[in-house]
Amino acid sequence: MRRRALTVTMAVALLASTVTACSSANDLIIYSGRNEQLVGSLLDQLEDAVGIDVEVRYGGSGEMAAQLLEEGQGTEADVFFSQDAGALGAVGEQGRLAELPADVLSMVPSSYQARDKRWVATSARARVIAYDPRVVQESELPKTIEEVVDPKWKGKIGYAPTNGSWQAFVTSVRVLKGEDFAKEWLKKFAANEPKRYDNNISILKAVDEGQLPFGLINHYYWYASAAEKGGEANMKAKLHRVGGGDPLALVNVAGVGIIQGTNQSEAAQKAVRFLLSEQAQRHFADQTAEYPANPGVKSSKHQLPPITDLQAPDIDLSKLSSLQETVKLLQEAGLS
Amino acid sequence: MLPLAYLAVRSFERGGGVVWDVLARTRTAELALRSLSLAVTVTAACLVLGVLSAWLVVRSDLPGRRVLGVLLVLPLAVPSYVAGFTWISVVPDLSGFAGAFVVLTLVSYPYVLLPVSAALRTADPAVEEVARSLGRTSRQVFFSVTLRQIRPAALAGGLLVALYVLSDFGAVSLMRYEAFTLGIYTSYRATFDRTPAAILGLVLVLLAIALTLGERRARGLVAHRGRRRPLTVPLGRARVPAFSGTLVLIVLTLGVPVISLVWWLIAGTSTFSVTDVLATTGNTVAVSAFGALLTLALALPVGILAARYQGRLARGVELASFAGHALPGITVGLALVFFGIRFAPALYQTTPMLAFAYAVLFLPLAVGAVRTGVAHAPPVLEDVSRSLGRGRWETGLRVTVPLAAPGILAGTALVFLTCAKELPATLMLRPTGMDTLATELWTRTEVAAYAAAAPYAAVLLVVAAIPAVVLDRFLSQTDAGGER
Amino acid sequence: MSGLTVKRLVAGYGGEPVLREVDFEVPEGGLLAVLGPSGCGKTTLLRVLAGFHPVASGEVWLGGRLLTSEVPPEKRGIGIVPQEGALFPHLSVAGNVGFGLSREERRGGRVEELLDLVGLSGFGARMPGQLSGGQAQRVALARALAPRPGVVLLDEPFSALDAGLREELRADVRATLRAAGATALLVTHDQEEALGIADLVAVLRDGVVAQLARPQTVYTSPADLGVALFVGEAMTFPGVARGGSVETPLGVLPTSGEGFGTVLLRPEQLVLGAHGVPSTVDDVLFHGHDATVLLRLPDGTSVRSRVQGKIPVRAGDSVSLSVRGSALFFGSTP
Repeated sequence: MRRRALTVTMAVALLASTVTACSSANDLIIYSGRNEQLVGSLLDQLEDAVGIDVEVRYGGSGEMAAQLLEEGQGTEADVFFSQDAGALGAVGEQGRLAELPADVLSMVPSSYQARDKRWVATSARARVIAYDPRVVQESELPKTIEEVVDPKWKGKIGYAPTNGSWQAFVTSVRVLKGEDFAKEWLKKFAANEPKRYDNNISILKAVDEGQLPFGLINHYYWYASAAEKGGEANMKAKLHRVGGGDPLALVNVAGVGIIQGTNQSEAAQKAVRFLLSEQAQRHFADQTAEYPANPGVKSSKHQLPPITDLQAPDIDLSKLSSLQETVKLLQEAGLS
Repeated sequence: MLPLAYLAVRSFERGGGVVWDVLARTRTAELALRSLSLAVTVTAACLVLGVLSAWLVVRSDLPGRRVLGVLLVLPLAVPSYVAGFTWISVVPDLSGFAGAFVVLTLVSYPYVLLPVSAALRTADPAVEEVARSLGRTSRQVFFSVTLRQIRPAALAGGLLVALYVLSDFGAVSLMRYEAFTLGIYTSYRATFDRTPAAILGLVLVLLAIALTLGERRARGLVAHRGRRRPLTVPLGRARVPAFSGTLVLIVLTLGVPVISLVWWLIAGTSTFSVTDVLATTGNTVAVSAFGALLTLALALPVGILAARYQGRLARGVELASFAGHALPGITVGLALVFFGIRFAPALYQTTPMLAFAYAVLFLPLAVGAVRTGVAHAPPVLEDVSRSLGRGRWETGLRVTVPLAAPGILAGTALVFLTCAKELPATLMLRPTGMDTLATELWTRTEVAAYAAAAPYAAVLLVVAAIPAVVLDRFLSQTDAGGER
Repeated sequence: MSGLTVKRLVAGYGGEPVLREVDFEVPEGGLLAVLGPSGCGKTTLLRVLAGFHPVASGEVWLGGRLLTSEVPPEKRGIGIVPQEGALFPHLSVAGNVGFGLSREERRGGRVEELLDLVGLSGFGARMPGQLSGGQAQRVALARALAPRPGVVLLDEPFSALDAGLREELRADVRATLRAAGATALLVTHDQEEALGIADLVAVLRDGVVAQLARPQTVYTSPADLGVALFVGEAMTFPGVARGGSVETPLGVLPTSGEGFGTVLLRPEQLVLGAHGVPSTVDDVLFHGHDATVLLRLPDGTSVRSRVQGKIPVRAGDSVSLSVRGSALFFGSTP
């Protein structure tokens, strides 16, 4: 009997100790769909820039968007920092994001902000072709998606079917070129017997080790790998940027918006300005090798071309999310 | 009930036409069929694995069976997505139906193992003895008598497996098997449209209700407990294959994740901080314990009601608690966001709210365990207690609960483990800034920082081992006490 | 005005009444045995009295208090001793006995007092699994008596015990109930048990009390043929009673009653001896304390005689039969 009482007492004490971690309404609360490992140290510095206590809540961008919509007016969130434009678009569309001030918007090229001014990109990532120059010259590489499905590349292309960025790329093909084209293209792509990989990293590794002529990846994996190997010169695999507005050059962004009706409007704006500041932009460029959304900032670590030179396809980024149809197409082509 | 109300609100906010459109898509039926077939096969495999391993651990003279018994329960603590990516790293070709089947079977067979071991411990050995005396071999006795005695427990466990498979997203998405939850997640993550997600959620609820009703039909009557500890059956020549079989199962379920973790820890470059891991462990134990106790508190009346009264109310309440279990965590999380922010803003994103979310999510685990435990306790003891002046509640507390203790404890341990690895609802409802082992694990695996993730996964296994060991010790003590 | 009174009690399942107008009274300190075959409503009666089953109509009074269906079991002050004792397996003997007591009462020595009463002092720390069947039954009785209930209900309390133990325990239970001054009601299908232990016997048949009387009266003057057959072994013959006597295969016997009917004799009324009706011994069934001799009369009728002490005959012997006392007679038409 006495032992049971002891156990209960201990349990209660333990519980009481955890309930204390409680945020106050006077703090700036950020919902971050970006991973803590990537932006945690940056957001820790945010407090100085904003002047009040900052609380960050991490989660998946899509789930956080759903949560913000569900919370509605009752939300404690002041700022939504998202991994992709789609989540921001969804929250903004429901009127849950406030319009950003002009000076904030002016820090970023207009193609990297919402048309309704409710969110702005903080950094960008691009689709690229990682190739092995020992096997294939850059000049021979495809310059359009049509060239990718040329039979001469049979069995020579790597892709990561489960990766979100691959799916977003296919979506962009659908949006830019139409459903019929996308269907036909996927059929040809499948007939070309592309090699499946788990993720972008393993594609890059295969190219680097000479097992694969080229693969479709996101650009920053190459920079991360280069940093790990002690410099870009040590990379056997090279990057080919397609450009020309082709879907192969698709650029997706991470971005930020301010929650409509926040009682911390001023601090929230300061937070957004901070994320576009040189300090934060350099952090993204250095730590994650993403393109800074603020074209005035350069990475001190990676040789990144400015965002304005990317020649990305013209597409409404917040519409880059009609995934259900994409998944279906991929499945029909046997590529899921 | 909250998730159901939420789904109804969200499904019909745009009128019945939308609901019909979503339901009428051929893809909806296709996904439902795929999920169901996965649920059926995984459940069947778990029944075989769970019953066999439970029998070996409880009733045979398998060497080292107490230790094996604890190890066999631990896979419950492995989140399906961790099992998924460790399996992929070991067997890169594993995918699709086969991959989802393997991973889900290996993480969820303990749902059958736990209730069946409890039932085997309390089953009346006299029945088996009679069967032996009538000339049946021990193998025949197992199939004709023992299986029948544990059928209700096995089916209850099987139901949990089936519901878990329906609700799982981690393993199926990693294995690229298009299941029903994929439709739901795509709706949230990619199209950001909550209405189809809610409608699909309702379909899952219907599937869950159908499964629950089916299980109830097949459940049959529960045998009362015997007074003695059941006999130990010598395995004879089957000892070696049985032992190695059990070892293989443990290697597959625990070995694969653990070896991957160790490998990452050695090979990886990312680092971790011991104090962070400790603090996170404290949080996890605290919220999981809170969640498990709250779940238990809610499950006791429901479970006792379900075992003792066959009324419509009791059935309805039990059914509702099971229906929610087939829903993915994100749906239940959003339902609680919906209600929490409207009706309990003071509690929103606090530990009590998170514990409540766990209770809603995992109530069936505890209800099933309480129900079988109570059904094993003779009702006449409750009558005696009432006649001695103890009211309904006091009787429940002083007689029914202690009698059903093995089952109740098993259920609580199950809930604790499941809370510790829960992710989607934890992300939404935890107090801002509080991390659990599962959230830290997720944060790191998402950016492929496996070495940094490994210690969290390892601690999660250790934390899970605690209730498993306690449970084992408790059960063997009650065995000793009941012996004549 | 205490004791247990049941008036025109009706109860059942769904629309089907199992108890149809049951009436009886147990005086304070008395022990009533409710005797009946299985399915007569004994269990339902106990459950109704204890408050586990609702009353359809009629009244139950205990110690001057009307117990309606609204009075829950725990507020009735009715103790129960179920079949096989049903001790709480998770509590010690002392824990079981003290279960219905307040903390003060438990500390005040009531538990020891009761264990003493049932002859189990010093058993307090044992667990139920370590008790024999008889011991468990005594603990169950002590447990029921502990809170000083208005009445104790015993449900076939001796049915699971072997014969020798049963007799001993029966006497002990009777003595214990007396010593405790408790009012008690015992249900059983065993007439020997009912007649042997109770002050009063109520024969329950098809949901009504067929007879309520002292054990001896029930045995010697049963209310009807059914009761007579149920409460003890008997032989019956058709017969016509006229003027205080009736003719049977065993000769003309004294009886009461008139007209066509059934003559009933108990085996112990048949005396083996030198005079009377000649008969042949078919078999002898030895019981230990007595024996039953199976006999055949010249006209082929089979009869039985109960013999105490030394058995004077063997199968195949010829012996004369006479009848002691008068025969019971039940007229076949009302």
